Formats: sequence, C-alpha cells, structure tokens
Amino acid sequence: MKVTKFAVPEIIFGRGALVHVAHCARGLGANRVLLVSDPGLESSGWVDRVKDILYDDGLEWIYFGDVNSNPRDKQIHDGANLYLEAKADVIIAVGGGSPIDAAKGIAILAGNGGSIADYEGANRVDKPLPPMICLPTTAGSGSDISQFCIVTDVPRQLKMSIISRSLVPNISIIDPMILLTKSQELIIASAVDALAHAVESYVSRIASPFTELQALRAIDLIMHNMEAAVQEKSIDALEQLSIASTAAGMSFSNAGLGAGHALAHSLGGMFDVLHGLVHPILLPAVMRFNSPACTEKMGTIGAMILGRTEGSAAYNAQAGIEKLQEFFSGLGVPVRLRDILPDRELLPKLAKAAVGDACNVTNPRPADVESLLGICEEAW
Amino acid sequence: MLERPSLDDLIGIEHCKLGFYQELRQKLDELQDANQESEQRRQEISAILDGITDMMMVLSADMRIVSVNHVFREVMGVDDPVGLACYELFRNEDRPCPECPAHKSFQTGQVCRETAIFKVGGRNRQFEMVASPIQDEGKGEPRILIFKRDVTMEKEYQAKFYQAEKMATIGMLAAGVAHEINNPLAAISGFAEGIMRRIPKLRQGETEPLEAVEDYLDTILRECERCQDIVHSLLTFSRPVSSGFSPLSLNDIVADTLKLLNSHLKNKDRRFTLHTELAYDLPLIYGDEPQLKQVLLNLLTNAMDALENEDGRSTEDNLITIRTYADGQEGAGLVVSDSGCGIPTENLDKLFEPFFTTKPVGKGVGIGLSTCYGIVKEHCGEILVFSEQGKGSRFIVRLPANPEANCE
Repeated sequence: MKVTKFAVPEIIFGRGALVHVAHCARGLGANRVLLVSDPGLESSGWVDRVKDILYDDGLEWIYFGDVNSNPRDKQIHDGANLYLEAKADVIIAVGGGSPIDAAKGIAILAGNGGSIADYEGANRVDKPLPPMICLPTTAGSGSDISQFCIVTDVPRQLKMSIISRSLVPNISIIDPMILLTKSQELIIASAVDALAHAVESYVSRIASPFTELQALRAIDLIMHNMEAAVQEKSIDALEQLSIASTAAGMSFSNAGLGAGHALAHSLGGMFDVLHGLVHPILLPAVMRFNSPACTEKMGTIGAMILGRTEGSAAYNAQAGIEKLQEFFSGLGVPVRLRDILPDRELLPKLAKAAVGDACNVTNPRPADVESLLGICEEAW
Repeated sequence: MLERPSLDDLIGIEHCKLGFYQELRQKLDELQDANQESEQRRQEISAILDGITDMMMVLSADMRIVSVNHVFREVMGVDDPVGLACYELFRNEDRPCPECPAHKSFQTGQVCRETAIFKVGGRNRQFEMVASPIQDEGKGEPRILIFKRDVTMEKEYQAKFYQAEKMATIGMLAAGVAHEINNPLAAISGFAEGIMRRIPKLRQGETEPLEAVEDYLDTILRECERCQDIVHSLLTFSRPVSSGFSPLSLNDIVADTLKLLNSHLKNKDRRFTLHTELAYDLPLIYGDEPQLKQVLLNLLTNAMDALENEDGRSTEDNLITIRTYADGQEGAGLVVSDSGCGIPTENLDKLFEPFFTTKPVGKGVGIGLSTCYGIVKEHCGEILVFSEQGKGSRFIVRLPANPEANCE
C-alpha cells in the first residue's frame, strides 16, 4: 500500500455540544473572536445562542454575516478586512458549508494576505491561519472536517477549490440538536451531499483503509436514517445523519472526491444552485460512468444500498445505482438536469469548466470533457 | 492557466496544518535579541550618565524630582530624593522659587540658564544651572532635565584673578599716580608755606594779606580736591569686591580712566597724541564700573605699547583715539584705535586666549585681552578687533543697555 495520510480536526460531538464553544475558543487563545454565519442562521436564533455563550464567558466577538449560499470572493475579502481591522483572533463559523467555507477563506486571507484566487488549487497556503472552530448546522457539507474550501469566483463564473491541510479546522463542534430546526429540503440536500461525499471518496483513486471505513459507514447510516430524519425529524435519526456526515467528511477530506463534485462545482459557479440538490441528479450518472473502473467497490456500495450480501459486484453495482435513483425520486427533489437548468446548450460549457476541477483528479475513471458531457447528457 | 493538482498533492504527505510555533519561536528570538540590544544600550547610556560630573535631575511639572544621578545623591547627601519637591530640598521653601530656570523652561519650552547660590552641606555654593525640556514624542507628561554645576571654585578663582590683574595694573600706574598726587602736594605745601609767611602780619592785625591767603586757601582746597579725586579713582578701581552692576555712562568711564593715566599722558617723553571723541547722546549701559575701567586701561596700555616701537615718527603721527558712540537705544560702544604696528593676521585668532603675548618678558604675561574678553562677555557685550599690519589696530567694545535681553 502506498504511504497515505489521514487528518481530521478535534471533534466534539453530541447533543448540546454547542455550549463548549466558548471554552474551546479560549483554549485556542481567543480574546475577540470573529463570528461568521449567514442571515438564515441569524433568523433561526442559532447565531444569538452562540453570542450568548461567548458573552457568558466574557469573550468579545465581531460578527460577519454577509455570506451567501455559495460564498463569493468579495465576501471573503470583506470578512478578512473585518477580521484584521477588528484585531480578532479565533474564527468561529456557524452554519452549513457556505459560512464555514467563507470562514476558511477569511482565515486564509487573514493569515496570508493577497487575493483568495491566489490560493486556488492544492497546497498553496504557506503561512499559518488563525485558529478556527466550526459549528456545522447541517449534516452534509463536511466542511467542518475537511481540508477543502469552495469559493465562487464571480468574474470567472466558477467555484474555486482551495485545498490545504491548514484548512482543516482546529475544532469541530457537532451538535445534532441544531438539525431539529432545519427544513426538510435542507436535511435532504445535506444528507445527499454527504452521501455523494461518501460514494465518491470511497471509489477515489487515493482512498485508504482509513477513509474507506468512514465512507462505507456514512453510506450505511444515511440509507438507514434518512427517511426517519426527513419524515419525523427524529432526533435519533438526525444524530445518525450527523455522524454519517462527519464520517463522510473524514473520508473525502483525505481521499478526495470525483467527477460528480467537479460537475457540481461548475454548476454552482454558473447557476448558484443549492449544492446539495445537484447530487440526486448527477450521482447515479457519475456512478454508472465510474462503475467499470471500480466494479468491486461500486458493488460493495450497491450491496449496502440494496441491503444484501449475495450477487456479483457488477450486478450489485448496477442494481444499487438503480435503487439509489429510485430512492432519490421518492424524496420529491429534482432528479433530472433539465429540471434545474434552462438550456441544454449550456452542457458543453459546464463539462469544460468541470474538467479542470481539483475533484476530477481523484475520479477513479479518467474523465475528459466528452465523458463529463456524456454524464450530463445522461442526467438531462 | 492553473496547474491541476496531482494525486500526491491531494494526499499532501509533506503538507501539515501550519502552526504558529515556528513564527512564535522566531519572534521570541527577535524579542530576546532586541531586549539584549536595548539592555546593552541602556548600560552604555547609564555609563555615560554616570560619567557626568554635574548634578543631574529630572523634574515633573509640579517641580517634583523624578530621577537623579549619583552625583546628585553624593552632593546633596540624600539617598532617595525621588518624589521630593526640589524647592523643599534646595531652599527649604514651600513653593517654587520665582527665578527657577526649570519653571521658566516649562513655560517657554526653551533651554534656560541661571546661576544661583544654595547652601549645601553647611556651605554656600554657587551653581550654574541649565534647564532643558525633555522632548517627549507624543504622550507623556512634560519633564525638565536640570544640570547643576558647582562653580564656586571657578567664581572664587575668577574674582581673585580679576583682583590680581587690577592690582598689577595699579602697580603699573603707581609711579604716575604718585607723581600726579605729588604735584598738587607740592602746590599745597608751597601755598601753605605762603600762608605761614603771612601769619605774622595777620597777627598784627593787618588785613592786606588776607586776600592772598584766601586765594592760597582756594588753591590748596582745589589741589586737595584733585588729590582726593585721583585717590578716589584709584580706590574705586582697586575695590576688591565688585559693587555690582549699575547704570553707567561710558563717557564717565573714559574720563575717570584718563585721570589715572594723566601723568603718562603729560609725560614729556611720551611719543603719541591722544585724541578723544566722546558722543554726547550716549545711552547708559548697565555694567560694573571698575571692570569696565580695567578693559579701557588694558586697551590703552596695549595701544601705547604698540606705538612704543614706532621710532622715527613724529609724536603727531603716533595717534591713539578713544571714541564712544551710541548703538541706537540698544547700547553704547567704545573704540580704542592706534596707528601702531598692527597685529599679524596669524595672531588675530589667538588674541583673546589667556597667556598669549608678543610682548617682551617683563612687559606682560598675556592675560590683559583675555581678561577684557571675559569682562565684556559677562556684560553680554562683544569685543571686536580690526587690525592691519603697519597701519594700526582698532578694538571695539559694544555693551548692551540691557544685558538680560542680550545674553539669552
């Protein structure tokens, strides 16, 4: 086996874990924290809850809430300026993937200066970042665990992938109770994102036994708990989804993703669609495309989805993908690309933008522009 | 175009989450270096400060002592003067002294100087004080740095020196002055004898000689007055303790000094002509009378010496001119010029240095002009010299009416 690496933040997990945020911040040397979140979380009251905890501990905070779904380069720069002007120290991100990625971008600029586009690609961050604490409020993005930071480059209409071990947060505090206040749609979108993370990283070219274990565990938990979580908002099921999302994060952070996320990033860059909602459309087609290159693994996934152990890998793979497609249809979310895109003529542009994405590097089957276009055509 | 990351890039074995440890260590090293450097600098500065032999103290705006040097502690015999008010320590007063230079310096932001006498260790000591505001960039209370130099010895020596110099001049003048007094004495004696001769006639009740006696007595009294006058000038000149500064007319100084030189001037052997041009509208200057006479005497002595060597010239060609002039309302000037040998250019710079002389042994030791320079400086005036070899020299002494305004 090749030499591999597995890096994750400190993880504090459990119902009510949120209260530890102030103590953790102090541990990282906080006097005045930059709190990053978005308007949605402000209105749901979670931002105030965090502020209260900080206040009770006597910590000062500066709030930065100008974060879109799919955070933008300008927002990152504004946040970094605020951080520097306010002489903040520790950065705390509260939210789904967007505020966390925004916080990571802010951390890069605060520690390294320059423009966020300077750091696109792998290992381009060469100075330490401010300490970071993440409080994920969705069970899906995995950004609270990963070394990835995805920022929309508005002029170029694409999502930049910034990959650096320095982007692994110092501490991730995961409190499943927060999920109780989330909408069905968001729970679905997040869980499907986590599932896509698990599937793509499992078959990734640099998957290791450490990541595979986490990926399979995540797939298993998502398939078994999604319905209860969505339909009943069962706290037990939501907690399992949180574990799954964290496990998937541990897997993809270290093993990378694949063509599905490459396409999702270019889609997000061009159309600002909710990232999680792209996967029910793309994932089955990507799995089908990759199956020949990793039949055994795809069979293992299929068997897990189907909930059985017998049958050939190739058969399980195919059947599993079909079952998954069926499962997505049952969720009441768009499952065809035509449902979210205005024009089929855009597909070549989409494929062209995706081929250079860092996620495409680890796709088990080399995917050029034509292959990616084929996947899109299939998903149309 | 951005290079696509490789699989190894994504695994990133050699890339870790970067921490601040290294940076911190570097900063610590830098801080240690900086600290060491500033400590070294502090020691250097402290060594320099310890090398200063004057008393030094730093005062806050309320005249309290902020810090002092070791000389201060030794001289004042106070171990910990920090926090004490300086006026308590030096004067035993309960409020700041009005003439305090520190006070003035606080108000003006300028360097202020003052001389004062303090009782230290049971003895009166004279100190020269320099108060300078400490330039503090930005914040911080204003502070004043004060140096106090004990000049008691210097002042004592200076006084003795002036006196010695004066006595030497008197010695030089003595013969002439004696002669000057001798003449009236001879006249007095002659006229007294004349009266004596007429006494028998007077006893016999004759009134005829009375007229002559009155006339003689008049003359005797006049001659006595002349003697008193000469003795008085001599006394004022040789008075050891200066009577202090007072408003003076330079013209009086000239007239008085010439009295002392009268016999020299009337000497049959003299080979020069003295010419005086005194300005009438001379503003009074503020000065020390004997000292200024000393200056004029020295300048005149030099002028006479300069003419001494001029053989083969008529007495009329050997000219000494004393001139006074008004310098606006600001002060007055005194010019002594001669048509003597002049001063070689290379000597001009050294003229006012003590013990510099071109005179033969026994004629002078070279402190005359340096004394003049010291006196004029003390009067906040200036002394200038213009000279051309073979044609003569001109010394100009300019004295201010108000030395206070000129000196700072």
